[in-house]
Amino acid sequence: MSQGALRPLRAAVIGCGAIAYEHLPFIVGSGAALPVALCDRSHAMAAAAAAHFEIDVALYTDAQSMLAAERPELVHILSPPQTHDSLVRLALAAGSHVVCEKPMTGSAAETEELLAAAQVAGRVLVESRNLLFNDPVLKLLGLIGSGRLGEVRECEILLTLDFLGGPMGDRNLAGPGVVLPGGAVQDFLPHLVYLLQALTGVGSADTVVGEYSNRSGNLRAQFDFCDVLLRCGKVRGRLRVATDVEPSAFRVIVRGSDASVETDLYNPFLRFEGAPSVGKRYPLGQMLAGFSLAGAGLTNLRNKIGRHGTMHGLPRMLAAVYAAIREDRVPPITPAEMLATARLTDQIVALGKPA
Amino acid sequence: MTGAGGFLGSAIAKAAANEGHEVLSMHRPTSPLSYADDIAGIIPVPGDLRQDGDWRDHLARAESVIHCAAAASGDLATQLGGTVLATENLLTALPDTLARFVHISSFSVYDFGAPPLMGPLDERTPLERRPLRRDTYTQTKLMQEEMVRAHCRAKVIPLVVIRPGAIYGPGKDWDFGRALRVGPFDLIFAPLSRMRLIHVDDCARAIVAALSAPFDDESIVNIVGSNPPTHWGFHRRGRQGGAPLGWPVPVPYALLRLLGGAAWLTSKTFFNGRAQLPELLDPPRIQARWRPLRYANTRARSSLGWDEGISVANAVTEMLLPRSGT
Repeated sequence: MSQGALRPLRAAVIGCGAIAYEHLPFIVGSGAALPVALCDRSHAMAAAAAAHFEIDVALYTDAQSMLAAERPELVHILSPPQTHDSLVRLALAAGSHVVCEKPMTGSAAETEELLAAAQVAGRVLVESRNLLFNDPVLKLLGLIGSGRLGEVRECEILLTLDFLGGPMGDRNLAGPGVVLPGGAVQDFLPHLVYLLQALTGVGSADTVVGEYSNRSGNLRAQFDFCDVLLRCGKVRGRLRVATDVEPSAFRVIVRGSDASVETDLYNPFLRFEGAPSVGKRYPLGQMLAGFSLAGAGLTNLRNKIGRHGTMHGLPRMLAAVYAAIREDRVPPITPAEMLATARLTDQIVALGKPA
Repeated sequence: MTGAGGFLGSAIAKAAANEGHEVLSMHRPTSPLSYADDIAGIIPVPGDLRQDGDWRDHLARAESVIHCAAAASGDLATQLGGTVLATENLLTALPDTLARFVHISSFSVYDFGAPPLMGPLDERTPLERRPLRRDTYTQTKLMQEEMVRAHCRAKVIPLVVIRPGAIYGPGKDWDFGRALRVGPFDLIFAPLSRMRLIHVDDCARAIVAALSAPFDDESIVNIVGSNPPTHWGFHRRGRQGGAPLGWPVPVPYALLRLLGGAAWLTSKTFFNGRAQLPELLDPPRIQARWRPLRYANTRARSSLGWDEGISVANAVTEMLLPRSGT
């Protein structure tokens, strides 16, 4: 590897809202990136982010001006989804690689077009899928890869989160909370879809049935509920998003022909259930289950204090993307994977019935 | 005025209308002004400063502005939106001919470690120099005040920055000085430290007075009670008045600092200094909330011709009236 390849990439951020506060620690502190500019339609929001991370970079309210003046090698596009298409195109045209927050677009057709534009420009375009790099998901993938579950047959993913309590459902604001065909649910749906695809190895679904609706009556969210069943050959999947139940959870269950495993990405634990402990082994099995739960509780406490939260996979993902660009390797999230996720998301969103 | 649907904002709107002002009272659509019909001179302006809207047209008619809107709680994104972005949008829409801008800041912007122990905290006290060690409210209120000052200087708009202490009154009692409830006991941290209380109606009168009081182009005024009670004393008054409080257990300030120091050391040793400490164990926030200090309101009295009208004893009685009536 040449010395030039190890040089940090000049990085800029477009969109200085909440998710920028997850990307910037990596950009500022990893050594792989050199922050050169922050851009937001609100100068105050850009200034607030610069102050928060104590970085002295140029601040812009116009993306085109920023790209022309700073010529960043990599741009993080962290603005609302409806702005992604034009911003990704601008960044690619300026010669920048792009990391775009999910959902990158509102449909597979738009995703396909952007990926084609990136290919023409000869630049890397990656849609964020940080949860694939979280500890529990890595453990699940390890268990599946080692064959301990046998053949994966089922995957259930449940996200319960009161997202109507935030800007997406804030009735003080006019217009839709998220400008996407699938409304607020689609803002989260890519996480569930790419996790299902990664954990089952299945890219597309033969059938998708279920409910995709608005249950709260809050029209700002457009859609706030999703409960769908997918069948992909021998594999069954169930994906759910709900706002009206507590507690907040991101539960993932994978069931295989030999064993099953369950975890939660908000309050991580890992419950592996293989052949049942029976007879003389019964008390031992119960004790081990108890120790496992107590251990998960202690780990969660340590994680909470140590700020090792649900976004802890993001810097790992960014490190992998930056390394791929710097070393001219295939990025960890490929165009084919992004397109498969967008297509399956389209199938689910198509079930939508507005309130 | 902005924030007219809030605890302080509604008191300001009423006080301003009672003084004969016509008050364009901006409030969030989901917080309608229940008092507007009963008081002449209050004109409700529904809108949200985070977004463009009809409120800009109303603002163009304003002669003076009282900016009270802010996000007092919520995560960083919520407070950035409700305080920083909202203020930026307001400032860009301000008429250049404004006679005065009265900005409602907060005591939280001060560096509470700057005055000597038991010493006075007043308008000359430096602002927090390391905001990142404090909470999100302090960070966003500091940004907000800086933006307002920069804009008013650039546009030559006369500015009065009002920094109220802990505003209390019916509906907001600061747990009567309690830091934490543990079963039947109430832990009273720094029991002998004074609370920086100011009654909401007294605070509102001071802010309305700031609309017309003679000031230089940029002035800062703290609004705080003349003889605020200690945490212990406020709790005692609450108990005597019938508030549902537990048995008080004093936790001296020195012990708090000791616990905070131990937590800080643990964070440094085991979490590389990045541990998320609860407010009760976070040294900068312990200092900001419980450090024994004296609070001065000399400037408010002299420049606004203002004086405190509601005693703590009467205020506590008023705050507990609904309970007494049931």
